[in-house]
Amino acid sequence: MRFDWSVVWANAGPLARGTGLTVLLTVATMALAIPGGILLALMRLSGSRLLAGASVSFTEFFRNLPLILVIYAAYYILPITVGIAFSPIATGLIALSLNVSAYNGETFRAGIASIRRGQNEAALALGMSRFQAMRDIVLPQAIRRVLPVLASTWVSLFKDTSLVSVIAVGELAYTAMRIRSQTFRVLELLTAMAVIYWALGYPQAKLVDWLNRRFGVSE
Amino acid sequence: MTLDFSPVLESWRFLLGGLGLTLLLSLLTVLCSLILGGAVGLARCYGPAWLRAPLVFYIDSMRAIPVLVVLVWTYFALPIVTGAVLPPFWAALAALTAHIAAYVAEIVRAGVSSIRPGQTRAALALGMSRSQAIRDIILPQAIVRMLPAFGSIISITIKDTAIATVIAVPEYMNRSQTLAGESFHPIEVFLTAMAVYFIILFPVTRAVDMVYLRLAHLGRS
Repeated sequence: MRFDWSVVWANAGPLARGTGLTVLLTVATMALAIPGGILLALMRLSGSRLLAGASVSFTEFFRNLPLILVIYAAYYILPITVGIAFSPIATGLIALSLNVSAYNGETFRAGIASIRRGQNEAALALGMSRFQAMRDIVLPQAIRRVLPVLASTWVSLFKDTSLVSVIAVGELAYTAMRIRSQTFRVLELLTAMAVIYWALGYPQAKLVDWLNRRFGVSE
Repeated sequence: MTLDFSPVLESWRFLLGGLGLTLLLSLLTVLCSLILGGAVGLARCYGPAWLRAPLVFYIDSMRAIPVLVVLVWTYFALPIVTGAVLPPFWAALAALTAHIAAYVAEIVRAGVSSIRPGQTRAALALGMSRSQAIRDIILPQAIVRMLPAFGSIISITIKDTAIATVIAVPEYMNRSQTLAGESFHPIEVFLTAMAVYFIILFPVTRAVDMVYLRLAHLGRS
């Protein structure tokens, strides 16, 4: 069996663009899912039964479904229920954001709940409003605890963006598999795809380990 | 918009077969991953130094590569290297095991290293051998702490088997896609799929939470 790696270099342009879209999808999803997660956490902690129930239902629903199914379902169900034809990228972004928001919501809730109640009570006793206590006392401490978890969600998300290739979003996995079927250089393209994901993901995984050592809470 | 679930109801045997394969693939993947990941995790903690570096490299690489890529590579590219063609089901089992075992290995390492070193020293001071100390003192405490994380491995595995649809393993996700294409009722088919996966996964995650609450106090030392 002879391998022809030049096919990878010949397609460096499309692969680079695919990689760019993978990174862009990761950033855009996180940009939507962090506010989404904060909203879910605040609903959960609001004290209103209705809001808390809605938040829990949303979180449990999306945490208990395979992401690839959410992506397919969004692809078929969104256009008909909303009445707007979304592009594959927008559909993928929505599906990823719903999934990651659910995880982030749980992360933020746990982070806020991990700050002892005395901190909040002390802030209120000092005459701060509930909003001030949350913003100046609880959140700054919660963020340190949330950061390592958010980082590992980020790495999972970076990998999960490959799943939107099933609805023809031209990110790295889709691009590599498309070039594979055009050139029939199966091993070369699939290996290049794996290497690119590895080269980007490996430092991120190491960064997560570092964040965990730096900020991780140990009892 | 009116929903018509009759294509789903008419094909219930077809879907049930897919569900069976999803559960079988999940079960085998969890078992193989526990064995492989347990061995890798213990070898990483207690094995010879020359073995640790490649194991760490394997674990961190699997944390960096999407499971979709591992699946596709195992099914399409591995046969070109080795010359042996794996049927989709076995390729999926191999790929998912390779991926999830790395996470199991991380759980084992975290569990083992969470036991204070004083425990090992006390065991050695009492005249136990190193393997006795690991087997009788460290592991019984560490395994209790690993159980909740192993539980979440089960739901992660069930969710990941759905990705095996990309290499045409006829499990539930794949059969749903086939039915969606043939029946021209994709919405009903995917709504059913969401309900089915949720009904399987929700009790699993709930049970894991309950196990965690039940066992948390046993893990303290």
